[in-house]
Amino acid sequence: MSTAIQATDLVRHFGQVKAVRGVSLQVEEGEIYGFLGPNGAGKSTIVRILVTLLHPTSGSGSVLGHDVVTERTTVRRLIGVALQEAGLDPKQTGRELLTLQGRLYGLRGQVLPAQVSEVTELVGLTDAIDRRIQTYSGGMKRRLDLASALLHRPRVLFLDEPTTGLDPLSRALIWDRIRELRNRYGATIFLTTQYLEEADELADRVAIIDQGRIVRQGTPAALKAEVGADVIDVAVDEREAGAARMAIEELQASGELPRGELRGTETGYTLFVPDGPRNIAVLIRGLDRAGVRFGAVSVSRPTLDDVFLAATGGRMAEKAERPAEEEERTPEPVGGGAA
Amino acid sequence: MSATTVPAAEPRTLAAPAGLLSDVAAITARSIRGILREPELFIFSLIIPVFFFVVQVGALGDVAKRAFGISSYAAFQLPISVLFAAASTSGGNALVLDITNGYWDKLSVTPVRRSALVIGTLFGEMFAVLGYSLVLLVFGYIIGVRFAGNDIVGALGLLGLTLLFGVGFAAVSIAVALATGSVRATQSTFIIFFPLLFLTPSAIQRSLMTGWFEKAVSLNPITYVVEASRSFLFGINGTVIAKGALAAALFSALTFTLTALAFRRRVRMG
Repeated sequence: MSTAIQATDLVRHFGQVKAVRGVSLQVEEGEIYGFLGPNGAGKSTIVRILVTLLHPTSGSGSVLGHDVVTERTTVRRLIGVALQEAGLDPKQTGRELLTLQGRLYGLRGQVLPAQVSEVTELVGLTDAIDRRIQTYSGGMKRRLDLASALLHRPRVLFLDEPTTGLDPLSRALIWDRIRELRNRYGATIFLTTQYLEEADELADRVAIIDQGRIVRQGTPAALKAEVGADVIDVAVDEREAGAARMAIEELQASGELPRGELRGTETGYTLFVPDGPRNIAVLIRGLDRAGVRFGAVSVSRPTLDDVFLAATGGRMAEKAERPAEEEERTPEPVGGGAA
Repeated sequence: MSATTVPAAEPRTLAAPAGLLSDVAAITARSIRGILREPELFIFSLIIPVFFFVVQVGALGDVAKRAFGISSYAAFQLPISVLFAAASTSGGNALVLDITNGYWDKLSVTPVRRSALVIGTLFGEMFAVLGYSLVLLVFGYIIGVRFAGNDIVGALGLLGLTLLFGVGFAAVSIAVALATGSVRATQSTFIIFFPLLFLTPSAIQRSLMTGWFEKAVSLNPITYVVEASRSFLFGINGTVIAKGALAAALFSALTFTLTALAFRRRVRMG
């Protein structure tokens, strides 16, 4: 297997803002690589560097051995890109947009209409393809954008948050298509997402990114195993939080509960312990004995969110809520009215 | 951008080098489709010139004949209307929308030559200018405006001059769109329309003007474009036409330079 995507010490600053702070990664051919992180973590900036839209401040990147700065044109022929903002000209029909895209990739003759039909069918837009894009729903636009990224049978596909803002049905459909692409064409897929279940569902390997750095990398199973434990969530009221923490720490000190990471969350505490089913009983008895009032208690296998929590000390949703440190795309001032 | 050949060992995709002409043709076709699908813009661009024409001719037609010695004020005003319409194109607006909604980025990750994205938009604008001008010339013909010599030669001359000026004018808003990426800034370039088209012999001949106004009008290159356009209607004068063509060419060369600079700024990645 050879390397499809390589990044070495990528750094990107926007003025004072350090959006990407030294990212190295390697994706093998045929892999689905999930790039997971909250809003503003630097995902889109890294994608924009790898797809030749942005220069790195330092470091280098390559696709199938071609440098993304010095061999831009070659890289552009090898990759297909669906960016986060599905920028599509609303005045064209789906077919016109795909045909234009295909011509820019140098497709001609019988190949062009054949490819347009093929990708249209693949994303399930055959019935709508001759309608103007302004009549499409958000999900249809995403699917059209995905289709346009596939026209020239790229070897490497970059999908920047392909399902953000989509309803569950559209999301499931896109997931199916992504799997099919890899299985049918053996394409390498670099996928960014802020949805943990998406990375878990699709990716062979996942990198977790926070504040411009990769904090964990591996297969979803290995990352979850790294947490090395089951996850017990216990909901406690704010007023009981201190007492609960004290009670749990006492249980750990006395050896009744094995030592494991204890993290405060928005709703209570998360405890990482082996053998969750046995220890949840110990925990409940202990809290009860200490007179701590608590709400729902649950035990689960670790999720990628737990990996994220263990690595960064915050849940992804909480991270995403605080104001982004970085504007991933310089927003263009949009004027009112007209046109 | 060098013509990269694909080495045999490289994994294949269907993508192949397309060539600048093919890129420009594809982008031009898309621009023209976009223009044709917004007929409301087309109508708006024609209403203002026709309104000015009717008001000016109605208000001043008789006075102009008696006081300024202009035989047909309708013929005198027609080139102004044509140039008005040529200056109301919206190339920069279409481009800045692409930039703000992300379509520019989408096109930019294809192997398209970046210059084709701008050249194709300019060709689309030339198509619009040609359309507006033809409609106004037909309108003029219906109300009795005739060219000095052969009507075909006169019409072609006037159209050629108008195209040269119109594409130069469109390039200004395209330059602003590329440089700023701001919808508001791009729309406000329409402002330059007023000095460029009103500091001209739009109402009376330059020979009747005096003082600072005459000086300002003589400095405006569009003055010579207006005078050359009228020459096709009032008697072909080689010197006047050559001056007008030169003025339009210099104006467009200047605005194309601005566009090229703005373009370089836009494609110089980050």
